[in-house]
Amino acid sequence: MSDLNIAVNVKLEPDFSEGNVSYNADGTLNRAETKSILGPHSAVASNAAFYSKVLYGARVAVTTMGPPIADIALQQAQLLSDADELHLYSDRMFAGADTLATAEVLKTGISKVDGKTDIVFSGHRASDGETGQTGPQTAWKLGFTFLGNVIDYYVDMQSRIVRAKRLISLQGFYDVVEEVEAPLPVFIAIDPSYKASFNTVSQRLAFEKYQKEAKGRAQNYKQYLKVFNAQQLGVDPKLVGLPGSPTIVYKVEKIPKAKASRKAEVVEGSSREQLAKVATKIFEVLGGLVIK
Amino acid sequence: MMESYEVAIIGGGSAGLAALKQLSNLGKQAILIEAGKQVGTKNISGGILYSKKPRNGRVHNVEDVYPEFLQDAPIERKITQYMLHSTSRNKVFTLNLTAAHEYQANFGYSVLLNRLTAWFAKQAGESAEKQGGGIVSGVHVKSLSWPGEKTVIETDELDPFEAKAVIAADGVNSEVAAMTGARTKFTPEQLYQGVKVIVKLPEEIIEERFGVGTDEGAAHLFAGDVTLNHIGGGFAYTNRDTLSVGAVYHYDSLMTRPTEPSTLVNALLKNPMVAEFVKDEVAVKMEINKDLPKEEQLRVRFATSKLIKTWNELRDAWYSPSGRKRLVEAGKFKTEAEIKSRIDYVQNELTSKYSTRFVTDYVELEYGAKLVPDGKRCAMKKPFHKNVLFIGDAAGRGVFIGPRIEGLNVGIDDAVRAANAVARAIDRNNFGPQYMGEYYSQMIEDSPYTRDMREIDKDYLKIFLDAAKDVPKDIIGQRYGMLFRLMSSGTLRGLAVGFANILGYDKLLPLVESEDTYVQVPVELAEKMGRSMTAMYEPTLPTVAQRVARLKYDDDRASHIKVLNPNSEFMKKMVVLCPTNCYSIEGGEVILQHEACIECGTCAKETEWHHPRGEKGIVYQYG
Ligand SMILES: Cc1cc2nc3c(=O)[nH]c(=O)nc-3n(C[C@H](O)[C@H](O)[C@H](O)COP(=O)(O)OP(=O)(O)OC[C@H]3O[C@@H](n4cnc5c(N)ncnc54)[C@H](O)[C@@H]3O)c2cc1C
Ligand code: SF4
Repeated sequence: MSDLNIAVNVKLEPDFSEGNVSYNADGTLNRAETKSILGPHSAVASNAAFYSKVLYGARVAVTTMGPPIADIALQQAQLLSDADELHLYSDRMFAGADTLATAEVLKTGISKVDGKTDIVFSGHRASDGETGQTGPQTAWKLGFTFLGNVIDYYVDMQSRIVRAKRLISLQGFYDVVEEVEAPLPVFIAIDPSYKASFNTVSQRLAFEKYQKEAKGRAQNYKQYLKVFNAQQLGVDPKLVGLPGSPTIVYKVEKIPKAKASRKAEVVEGSSREQLAKVATKIFEVLGGLVIK
Repeated sequence: MMESYEVAIIGGGSAGLAALKQLSNLGKQAILIEAGKQVGTKNISGGILYSKKPRNGRVHNVEDVYPEFLQDAPIERKITQYMLHSTSRNKVFTLNLTAAHEYQANFGYSVLLNRLTAWFAKQAGESAEKQGGGIVSGVHVKSLSWPGEKTVIETDELDPFEAKAVIAADGVNSEVAAMTGARTKFTPEQLYQGVKVIVKLPEEIIEERFGVGTDEGAAHLFAGDVTLNHIGGGFAYTNRDTLSVGAVYHYDSLMTRPTEPSTLVNALLKNPMVAEFVKDEVAVKMEINKDLPKEEQLRVRFATSKLIKTWNELRDAWYSPSGRKRLVEAGKFKTEAEIKSRIDYVQNELTSKYSTRFVTDYVELEYGAKLVPDGKRCAMKKPFHKNVLFIGDAAGRGVFIGPRIEGLNVGIDDAVRAANAVARAIDRNNFGPQYMGEYYSQMIEDSPYTRDMREIDKDYLKIFLDAAKDVPKDIIGQRYGMLFRLMSSGTLRGLAVGFANILGYDKLLPLVESEDTYVQVPVELAEKMGRSMTAMYEPTLPTVAQRVARLKYDDDRASHIKVLNPNSEFMKKMVVLCPTNCYSIEGGEVILQHEACIECGTCAKETEWHHPRGEKGIVYQYG
């Protein structure tokens, strides 16, 4: 048994990259024609879990709630995190869940993971319309300390304390990095800018070793996969799916783009004359302003 | 406390990895540091990888180091045809040099270094792990020092660590050589500039076009007017489902009359024979009507991209036995015929709904370049410094004689010799220059490749002369005179070669490696004896900017190259000779924009030149 047990909540999301995404004539996403993949924020959370695998030999479980095909998100997350265990919570009963009902399923799932979970990682938010609340709500339901926007962390294995750096954006002002400490267990929502760093040769060698292991495991990911329906999970039907969702999204509207208030003139090309034209324009507009 | 290792290998190209594998095979711990994020992303070759069996002495071949090589490695095709074409305008005269290609060879496979190097890394890495070592990629070594007996290695990314022995396998632009002062930077006279493009071509089209069987391939070399009067030549090699088309020219020849590397490849691609080699059916997107609503424009753009991607994927699979089988076995199609009708359907959709056109052209996937050390002129005499042993391109080693282009196999052979020397030092715990360096140096002296870098091999020459027996003697004779007439005669050849070798390579080379050999003689041959060729289309040649746009980089804001003298003649020539146009002139001074740099080393001689930090810079997909 490992000294550190980690769970990662991930999500299957549409692949928005060109050549893979498809839109309907009205501009909405054509879900049937668009491939789904592990969401980018979930990928970052998986990377964060892998960091603990390399440094502390942590045991990693990846969990997700979704349709049966969401197992590919688990496979991709296993490739990134070298997970020892994969959980898929899949049941028609879960359909229509909002963030709170999702958190209920994820919370219950964590209790099914082998060993007592010390850290849960989740992405910052999903890319296909989610509000970033699932994480905090799951943490609250689990009774874990919640740490959001984490860009770096390490675990003092002796004292079982997590030290983390949080990136806080003071909108309109500047960004600050806050350093916090919390005893295990914790729930960490990882910031998209997180990047693990491995600073010694031996850490890099361990990294290579686990990464190779991850490749092998992900190829046979079904061996690590456990699928739970509502009954197997033992969730309260009142707390999941539509019945457990206090919020309902009844309409999604496109926000009309504001009319540009500036007038722009496009000067094509890079010849001397064209550049001179741009310079003259700038000078006209800025008038007496001196640019240093 | 500083981490300590027995051996550190710097550079994970074909040479460095072979050293790691050999050391691990011998049960020794070694780590290998590679700058690229993934091993194989920085390496580029022509390339044909040979396995040789010299009559005198023995070399260590790729399959000796990696026993699974022939069964398992991602090799492209076994080269069974080797042709040399002399070109002039639309005329081509062909010599069959397959016998020269097979000379003292077990085999020669076409390879793409990205995937092959990754395979080497997997094999070597697994063996090394068992000995407590392994591969550390994405790390750039920036300095070596010797506070005590061990070498302290500093990198841009990791905490410093130490090693008892170091193997420098960091390529032609070796920073280890510069750091240690083991050798000076190579001069243009000692180098070639190699440039190449990867062209996409479906598997069975290659087989039909080149007249080769499954797994077999062809190599075509070019001299004459395609060289644009430079000393060197072009090549086109068949891979499994791509072609490698490129050119290797003497760097000093390029310095004399600078020509853009991209122009040199274009000259080759425009040759009617090569144009016909590379041609394929290509989907061309229609310009999207800008008057349509934004959403509709996006929908059309994405739908076209998606359909073209499908069309390409299905077509590639359709022209490949394994591809067809894979699609049917995966249950995506019931029969192979269904694949074809799906392709036709997609093509029809594209034409009718999205106004996509299908034309004859060629598809370029990757553009790349690198310097190549001419072993004859720059192989290190004593390839070591203290406890650092140099191998492969870093040691300036390679056999390049006429159509004989061998760097990969030479580097692998060096690697085994270096690994053996290091293993012996570990057993005695003696890494001193006398015990390890000198011993390695002697092993390199004993290598048949070293002999090939110094002397003419008369048997190899004979094969040449036999292949050229129908060439009118006046074309050759009037230029090379006495010596060559002597060599054409069986009995006198031994004498002539002996005489030539006494004269020495340095005196002989300027005579043989001349514009006469690479340009005038081939042009005359083609004009007098060549057959006419016509291309059915004109290839659309990308600009340098378009070629660069297709490359993958991990951008580094800090430049890894510093211009020392922006007014020097050398730097002014870089404006033309940099393969990706990183240099330009502003206000009479040469300035560098490093972002598009592909780390070829062409500008290294008069710049402060480093490889980019770990993970940064060019990421070759084919190599
Ligand atoms: C166009 C062209 C055609 C060729 N054709 C052929 C052919 O047909 N047959 C043949 O046998 N040979 C051919 N060659 C030559 C052959 O490709 C080379 O000899 C061979 O690839 C050299 O291998 P190497 O391992 O010595 O160096 P490289 O492959 O250059 O490897 C050096 C490695 O070291 C790494 N590195 C460098 N500095 C550092 C640092 N400071 N820290 C960490 N890592 C570092 C680099 O990232 C790189 O991966 C050709 C070459 C070219 C350019
Ligand atoms: S900047 Fe120098 S090293 Fe980089 S591609 Fe240009 S010539 Fe080559």
